[in-house]
Amino acid sequence: MLNEERIILMTHMASYEEGEGRKNVKIGNYFRSDYVAVQVLKAIISGTIAFGVVFALYIFYDFEVFMQDLYEIDLIAFAKKVLFYYAVTVAGYGVLTYVVSTYRYVRAKKSLKCYYQNLKKLASLYSGQDV
Amino acid sequence: MTGLLEIREKVKFLYSRYEIFILPVIKFLLAFLVLNTLNGRMGYMTRLDNIAIVLIVALMCSFLPTGCIILFATLFSLLHMYALSMEVALVGLCVYLVMFLLFFRFAPKDSLVVVLTPLLFAMKIPYVVPLVVGLTCSPVSIVSVGCGICVHFLFQTVIDNAPAVKTLEDSDIVGKIRLIIDGIVGNKSMMVMIAAFAIAILVVYLIRRMSVGYAWTIAMVSGAMTNIVVLLVGDLIYDINVSVGGVLLGSILGLAVAKVVELFRFCVDYNRTEKVQFEDDEYYYYVKAIPKMTVAVSTKTVKKINAQSQHARTGTPASRDAASPARQTGQHRPVNVTTERTPGGRKSSAGSRTSGRARSVTVGNTARHRNTDGQTKEQEDLF
Repeated sequence: MLNEERIILMTHMASYEEGEGRKNVKIGNYFRSDYVAVQVLKAIISGTIAFGVVFALYIFYDFEVFMQDLYEIDLIAFAKKVLFYYAVTVAGYGVLTYVVSTYRYVRAKKSLKCYYQNLKKLASLYSGQDV
Repeated sequence: MTGLLEIREKVKFLYSRYEIFILPVIKFLLAFLVLNTLNGRMGYMTRLDNIAIVLIVALMCSFLPTGCIILFATLFSLLHMYALSMEVALVGLCVYLVMFLLFFRFAPKDSLVVVLTPLLFAMKIPYVVPLVVGLTCSPVSIVSVGCGICVHFLFQTVIDNAPAVKTLEDSDIVGKIRLIIDGIVGNKSMMVMIAAFAIAILVVYLIRRMSVGYAWTIAMVSGAMTNIVVLLVGDLIYDINVSVGGVLLGSILGLAVAKVVELFRFCVDYNRTEKVQFEDDEYYYYVKAIPKMTVAVSTKTVKKINAQSQHARTGTPASRDAASPARQTGQHRPVNVTTERTPGGRKSSAGSRTSGRARSVTVGNTARHRNTDGQTKEQEDLF
C-alpha cells in the first residue's frame, strides 16, 4: 500500500539530492579544515594567475617607459615592491576565500544534517510498516 | 487582484506542465537576443554577424546548460574584438580572465545575471537589475552584477574607441592597449554604477527580509530611491552625465518589473496576518503568520457520458444517467458532452475529485490513480 507521508518525504529528498544536495554532499565528504584548505589553495592559484595577468597589462601599458627605465631602476627594489603587492593581493583574496568557504561549509553541514534526519525518519517509516 | 492571481496560477500551471519545452525555448530566445545584440553593437567580424550562425548557436544553447550562453557570448565578443584589433582582444581576454578567476568563483550560479546585466544596459533598462536581484538573490550576487557592469563598460569602451583604434597603425600595439585600458580603468561612470547597484541590492535584500508588513514593496521602493540618490550623488561628485529623466523612468520601469516578480514570488495577504504566542519548556514563541494569496483556478472539465446506444441495445445500462433515457425511447442517441467549470486545488487532480471511491497520491506532477477495481492509470496532475 502506498504511504503518502513516505512518498512526500522521498520526493523532497530526491529533489534535494538532484539540486543543492549534490554539491553539499561533495562538501560534506571533506573535513572542515581540508575543504577550507583546498579552497584557499585554489584561491592562491587563481589569485597568482590573475595578478600575473594584471601585472602583464601594467607592463604593456607603459612598455616603452618600462624598457627605457629598465637599466636605470633598482631591480631588487622593484621586485620587492611587486612581491609586496602580490602578497597583499593573494593574502587578501585568500582571507576572503577562507571566510566564504567556512561559511559555505557550515551551511552545507547544517543542510546535510537536516537531510540525514529525513533519511532516519524515512527508515523509521519503513521499519514501522514492517512491524 | 483575483484576476492577477488567476493569471499567475495559469502561468504556473502552464510552466509546470510544459516546462520541458518552455525552458529550452526561453534559453534559445535569451541566447538569440544576447548574440544578436552583441552582433548589432559590435559586429566587427562580418562573418560572425550572420543570422544563420546566431540561430545555430542559440539552438545549441537551448539544449546546453545556462553557463554556455556566457561562454558563447564571451567567444563572440572576443572574436569581434579580435576582428577590430588583436590588442583589444588581448585586453578583453585579460578582463574576462581576471573576472573569472577572482570574482566568478564566488557566484557560479548567477551566470544568468552576468548575461542579463549587459543585455539590459544595451536595452536601456539597467535599473531593473538591482531591484530584481535584491528581491530574488542573495548579496553574493553583487559580484555577478558588478561583473556584468564591467562587461557592459568594456563593450562600451571598445565601441567608443573603435574609430580611434582603426586609425592607429598596426605597429602601435602599446597605443591600442593603452587606449582600451584607459577607457576601462578611468571610467568613473562604471565605478558609480557598480557602487549604486551594490548599495541598492543590499538595501533591497535587507529590507525584504525584515519582519514588517509590505516588506517587499518597501524594499523595492527604497532600493529604487537609493539607486537614484547614489547615482545623482555620483554625478555631482564625478560629473558623469547621468540622465535624471532616464534614471527616474528606468526606476519606475524597474519597480513595475519588481512588482511582477513579487506577484510570483511573494504574494501574501497582510490583512489576514495572525500573531500567536505560545511556550514550551525552554522558549516563548512569538509567531507572526501571513497567509499566502491563492486562488483556485477554474478549469474546464469535459464529462463524457458515453456508449449508451450500444448498452441500450444489449440491455445493460452503462450508467444511471445515460441508460435510462435510451431504454425509454429505444432510439440511437448521440453521445452527450457537457462542459462544466469546477474549482481547482493545488494538489488534487480533477479526476480524483470526481470519482469518490478512487484513491490518489500526488508525487511531483504525476498522480497515480488507483481505482477500487484494481485498474491503475497514470494521470497528469492538473495543478
